[in-house]
Amino acid sequence: MAVTVDKQELEKTSGNGAHSDVVVAVRGLTKVFKDFWGRSKARAVNDVDFEVYRGEVFGLLGPNGSGKSTTIKMLLGLLYPTKGHIEVFGHSPRHVATKSRIGYLPEESYLYRYLDSRETLDFFGNLFRLSPEDRKERITQLLEMVGLAQTQTRVVGEFSKGMQRRIGLAQALINDPDLVILDEPTAGLDPIGCREIKDLIVSLARRGKTVILSSHLLADVEDVCDRVVVYFGGRIHAMGTLKELLATPDSIRMTMPALPKETLERVLEIIRRDVADDRIHIDTPEQSLESYFLDIVEKARGEALETSGALSGGTVAPYLRGESEQERKQRVLERLTHTGEKTAEEEKAPSEKHEVKEEVLNKLMEQERKAAERPLESGTKDKEKEEKEAQREKVDLSKANEKLSSLTKRERED
Amino acid sequence: MQQILAIARLTFRAAYRFKLVLILSLVLLGGVVLLPLVLEGDGTAQGFAQIVITYTLSITAALLAISTLWLACGTLAGDVEYGTIQTITVKPVSRWRVWLGKWLGVMILNAVLLGLAGAFTFGAMKWRATKLPPEQRQVLDNEVLVSRASAKPPVPELDKAVDQLTKQRLEESSAADLNEELLRQQIRIQLEAQIQTVPPKYSRRWMIDLGAAADDVRDQPLFLRVKFQTSRSMMETLESIIYDTAWRVGPVDSPSTWRTNRSLTANAFHEIRIPAGMLDNEGKLRVEVGNPNDEALMFPLDNGIEVLYREASFGVNFIRGLLIIYFWIGLLAAVGLAAASFLSFPVAAFCSVTILILGMSTGLMSRVVSEGTVLGVNHETGEAGSSFIDWFAVPFFKAVLEVVGFAKGFSPIDALSTGTSIPWSEVGLAFFRLIMVMSGFAAALGMIIFTRRELATAQLSR
Ligand SMILES: Nc1ncnc2c1ncn2[C@@H]1O[C@H](COP(=O)(O)OP(=O)(O)O)[C@@H](O)[C@H]1O
Ligand SMILES: [Mg+2]
Repeated sequence: MAVTVDKQELEKTSGNGAHSDVVVAVRGLTKVFKDFWGRSKARAVNDVDFEVYRGEVFGLLGPNGSGKSTTIKMLLGLLYPTKGHIEVFGHSPRHVATKSRIGYLPEESYLYRYLDSRETLDFFGNLFRLSPEDRKERITQLLEMVGLAQTQTRVVGEFSKGMQRRIGLAQALINDPDLVILDEPTAGLDPIGCREIKDLIVSLARRGKTVILSSHLLADVEDVCDRVVVYFGGRIHAMGTLKELLATPDSIRMTMPALPKETLERVLEIIRRDVADDRIHIDTPEQSLESYFLDIVEKARGEALETSGALSGGTVAPYLRGESEQERKQRVLERLTHTGEKTAEEEKAPSEKHEVKEEVLNKLMEQERKAAERPLESGTKDKEKEEKEAQREKVDLSKANEKLSSLTKRERED
Repeated sequence: MQQILAIARLTFRAAYRFKLVLILSLVLLGGVVLLPLVLEGDGTAQGFAQIVITYTLSITAALLAISTLWLACGTLAGDVEYGTIQTITVKPVSRWRVWLGKWLGVMILNAVLLGLAGAFTFGAMKWRATKLPPEQRQVLDNEVLVSRASAKPPVPELDKAVDQLTKQRLEESSAADLNEELLRQQIRIQLEAQIQTVPPKYSRRWMIDLGAAADDVRDQPLFLRVKFQTSRSMMETLESIIYDTAWRVGPVDSPSTWRTNRSLTANAFHEIRIPAGMLDNEGKLRVEVGNPNDEALMFPLDNGIEVLYREASFGVNFIRGLLIIYFWIGLLAAVGLAAASFLSFPVAAFCSVTILILGMSTGLMSRVVSEGTVLGVNHETGEAGSSFIDWFAVPFFKAVLEVVGFAKGFSPIDALSTGTSIPWSEVGLAFFRLIMVMSGFAAALGMIIFTRRELATAQLSR
């Protein structure tokens, strides 16, 4: 997994594109933990450079103890670098005012055990100087979002680890931050929680927010990150977009409904003319355990079973979507009265269709939400991203087409 | 401000949720209400004051002092150790605000507790007063449950005389190696002794100016508070020796001059009640004492004689006393927080308790400083011991005394139990010295260290 890449190549990959908005810049960052007498105990981070741009989801990937949390704590001014330079929004990490734009979920639940969830969020809201009305509104939405609306009066100390993570996440988002730093966000969460966090991260990024997350779970990173660095022993061993890091450009994979035997034979025959038999691999795609589990829970939720644990909230808090609930409902209503017309945007986003398979209203709300978000997303970054996404699919398809057509051509020639 | 208040509220809430408030209130109530009920007074007004005021207020102050140090150390060091501080300082709140919020939180808690204890003490006192014998109740109402300010005779200006005499002596003396500083000291002591002393068969007169208060107290009884020493009483401190004294108070030419003869013990304070109407037109009280004994009586310059007069109600004075206690606790809270700004909880608690004890053992320290050694002087040989510890202990104690001396002298409990008025000016001075200067210094130190410190280095797991 640890791909070694030499320095020059790193600079090439990180320097691509004309990213003007650097949110976090880290240069030559080194952290040596010292004991009381100043002898060094551990070199937790060793000469690390990277930059994080606005609107991207940036992953710090690495095994336990590789220096991810230490890096994050230095970004937040909780630890001071032994060497090197950090800028967050163009300021030192110790600049107090900058912190109003940052949300942080620590790796452990560093919350007050004697406060209940509402009091906890209210306290942190006060630290952001939010008005009482803002606090009330946001807290309600956040609790709804993280699925703890039912357990408001129990103190955080009694919560399970996963529930504490959820509160931790809620407090990280109370200021609607521009930069969200999540240290192992999925640690201790059930699969639904993981899914929800990932959805949240994606929707934050879609609004032009920057997300930095650390994880040792490959699936987390794979699902949401635009760009990752791979840590090992305090050093960066690889950096780049997932596509760059994972692409194996000389193979393709097709998925289709099961074919009749003779059709499959014919297709295979065609392929065999080009490729040796042992390099072709055929299987039935298995459902991943994650999606299997999610299905079951989805059904159970349909039957409205009660739980004393965390409920899944699922919907991202409205203020984090930059639109009020009122506006949203209004729009959906309007939409319902003008049935039939499809907007250009809807057609442009075919990839999002698979997410929504519930009732019509839900579907409409969802689409409406996305449509509404798009104009609000400031900057070109997001459009760029979408285009990239679309492009990626197009490229893949066109490649497949090319290959297929070339295959058939050859067949005909033969 | 919103941030500071949020942190203050949180700190208070922590104490509340951990039942600290409840337990402390119970302990306080036990100490303030129940214990004094069990203790029988001796039936005198003084005994009453001793138990109800000195005892309960001292317990309250001591309990609050300890709990404040504990809480102040715990609230900050605990946040650092459990990592909760990490979720706070990544918010846009300066660390000095976090520090100040914690201090405020501790002080809110103390205000509540001290208020409660004060109210109960006051109530218990009023209630118990009804159980005293009638003549003692009168003493109580006149001397204890009052707020009396004092006026003292002006301290004579000696500097000029000392200068002059020293110069004269130096000129007269042929010895060139005469130590001028030593000579000056001796001359001063001689002069002071002359002024303080009332020789046998002689009398002495003071004019005590009541200043602005004179008009208010002209038709009230006044109290003369006196204390004297004799050479014999100073040698044999264990025995109380009684001396006769003859007093004459009031304007010379007036027929209303008031006289009394009293037999008083040396080395102790005595109160002599003076009837109303003894002030002269300028608001001055003329006091004359005759010494019929064969020994000289010495009235110390600083507290040998003073006139007490009513200045405010006891309730007002009581509140002023509580305020000063509150300032002391504020200082302790600042010291505890300052220690916790860079130390872990146990170490911080240990250090601040040590500071508390050091502050209270000034008597020992001043002895060490004056004798110049920790080993003490051998009184038979008059030889001073010496050890290498002295080399740093003496200057260290000197420094501590310097600091403590700056805050000392604010002892509201003494004042309350003797019915002595604590003027607002003293409350102000206590605020300035204890809160603004000393707590301010501790706070500045604590805030600077706390701001510079890495907060994510060491955590306990729960
Ligand atoms: N406060 C500390 N004192 C000493 N060593 C530390 C401290 N915090 C972390 N380390 C060490 O630094 C290295 C990196 O830790 P960390 O950044 O927490 O790793 P992770 O990638 O799992 O988040 C580890 O070897 C860890 O032991
Ligand atoms: Mg970690």
